[in-house]
Amino acid sequence: MAAAEPLIRSQELTVRFGGNVAVNRVSLAVEPYTLKSIIGPNGAGKTTLFNLLSGQYRPTGGRIFFKGRDITGLNAAARTHLGIGRSFQLTNIFPNLTVLENVRLALQSRAGISYIFWRNFRAYPELEDRAYELLQRVLLEGRWDAVASTLTHGEQRKLEIAILLALDPELLLLDEPTAGMSLEEVPAILELIRDIKDAGQRTILLVEHKFDMIMSLSDSIAVLKEGRLICDDAPEVVSCNPEVLEAYLGGGAKDA
Amino acid sequence: MADQHPPQTPVQAQRAQEAAGRYTRAGLWLQVILLVLLALEPWLVSSFRVMDVAAKVMIFAVLVASYDLLLGYTGIFSLAHAMFFGLGAYSLALIIHHAGAPLWYHLPLAALLATGLAVLVSLVVAFFSLRLKALFFVVMTLALAQFADILSIQWHSLTRGEDGVSFKLPGLLDVGWSGGKLWGLTVNGRLLTYYIVLAAAALLFVGLVRFVRSPAGRVLKSIRDNEQRATALGYKTFNYQILANVFGAVVASLCGVLYALWVRFVGPESVMSTAIMLNILLMLIIGGMGTLYGSIVGAAFILVAESWLADGLRAVKVFLPDLMVLQRLADRWILYFGVLFVLVVIFFPKGLVGSAREIAARRRARVRE
Ligand SMILES: Nc1ncnc2c1ncn2[C@@H]1O[C@H](COP(=O)(O)OP(=O)(O)O)[C@@H](O)[C@H]1O
Ligand SMILES: [Mg+2]
Repeated sequence: MAAAEPLIRSQELTVRFGGNVAVNRVSLAVEPYTLKSIIGPNGAGKTTLFNLLSGQYRPTGGRIFFKGRDITGLNAAARTHLGIGRSFQLTNIFPNLTVLENVRLALQSRAGISYIFWRNFRAYPELEDRAYELLQRVLLEGRWDAVASTLTHGEQRKLEIAILLALDPELLLLDEPTAGMSLEEVPAILELIRDIKDAGQRTILLVEHKFDMIMSLSDSIAVLKEGRLICDDAPEVVSCNPEVLEAYLGGGAKDA
Repeated sequence: MADQHPPQTPVQAQRAQEAAGRYTRAGLWLQVILLVLLALEPWLVSSFRVMDVAAKVMIFAVLVASYDLLLGYTGIFSLAHAMFFGLGAYSLALIIHHAGAPLWYHLPLAALLATGLAVLVSLVVAFFSLRLKALFFVVMTLALAQFADILSIQWHSLTRGEDGVSFKLPGLLDVGWSGGKLWGLTVNGRLLTYYIVLAAAALLFVGLVRFVRSPAGRVLKSIRDNEQRATALGYKTFNYQILANVFGAVVASLCGVLYALWVRFVGPESVMSTAIMLNILLMLIIGGMGTLYGSIVGAAFILVAESWLADGLRAVKVFLPDLMVLQRLADRWILYFGVLFVLVVIFFPKGLVGSAREIAARRRARVRE
């Protein structure tokens, strides 16, 4: 019965910073177990939209529903527990902890043992083993005992994804997961995203610039421009939309 | 380091290796030796002064470690830590003082009161100021500490003001009591108190070590590293900061009880003053932040120096009366102390224990390669 219900839905979502309306009355719905890509030129409001959905920012107008429930008033930690996980466009990890510990902390949060202060944290080997598996999944297992700040930029992006998967979210918000990666690294990460999608257990909202790659990956593509949603449809339809061609592919060809 | 046993991941290999080396770790043996030395100290050196310094080192080591929990592990910079120490010390002193005569139940009662007060006050501090910016938090805690200091001086009917409170301990712990000899050593109230201090300090220290190595302790570390990220993982960071604050305050307060128990005198100067707070900071920086064990080294370093450096320099004065230059220098032992401190900070920026750990880690890394 829940099939008709979108997993997440925004309604007239708006946020303004001073006079600048970064996200302007965006109404968007993501169906369960689908992948929707969001494209748009730099400064279109994609990251800001993610910040609103994940609870980092408070909207100045509009509402957000997760599985039909109004979550507009919930903070980021509460939304994480509900099953909304996000990766950050600007890498966001624990720089002075090891790679494994970064992932383990995410698993620990999920396992609900975090207020325990009388047992040793190493008394939960299953968390460490699971963390290592996740590092294998993002092809980072070779660096498991490195301090996170010593990773290359591309490796840190992989770590982000591993942390995100560790939270086992129903909804993944991926903000340019391949940004800053070397060209050889990109296909592996897109493959990983495809795997996650094909496994059929998660819903993904993806911001990504590599247009040809998201064409085959996405169930639908939404286009933002100056904070407004100008189009949201199947990839074939969006790529033929004259407004999109003009606004994004034509005007902002540098991103393609 | 490619692993040749396919079913075992490097993580599991490391875990197995650690489990195998559990009882042969150098750190463990150091702790056991330290504990045995402290337990045998009254027999090893028959000097009250050494025993006095040993007891104070134990108390201050735990006090500084509890401060490390805040500053080194959670990144909370509070200047009210000495206040909690004072709160505990006054709890015991005032209960016995106002009761008229010392009774057995005064000790657990004092521990209970010290714990209760510490929980209450630290919760108030946390709720009112933890959400503030770091700088305001420092100022708030400083103001609160000053207020407590002034209160202990001015509220004469309760605390006897600057004069302080001296008091006796009940029964076997009283200095007057003596229970004959054991292996050549007189068993008296002092000796029994020493062992109470030793046992309690060891327990509290183990408690702190367990805390920082627990799942909650790891969250604290992650908050210090990147608080916003910790929130995005679903951690309610504020709750953890409160937990660290309360835990640190309770341990500090219990250290105050132990200190009062050992010294049998409590006054504003000796337990509440800014000087105590500075001492705590100094010990932590010298020993090394974020190590816990550094607090033992820091406390020992400062208390031993305080106790004997002045003496040593005075001895110079007595034995070499003709050398005016040396005499002048000897008068300025505080200055040496400052120089020593600066040298430690320059050459061991992570404190003595922190730097030692770093060197050990580097050596281990080299061996692996
Ligand atoms: N915290 C903020 N304060 C002020 N302006 C902001 C803030 N966050 C985003 N913006 C503005 O919102 C607009 C959209 O930015 P962003 O969402 O980062 O774009 P995109 O991710 O699509 O490149 C930009 O004009 C940016 O300057
Ligand atoms: Mg962006």
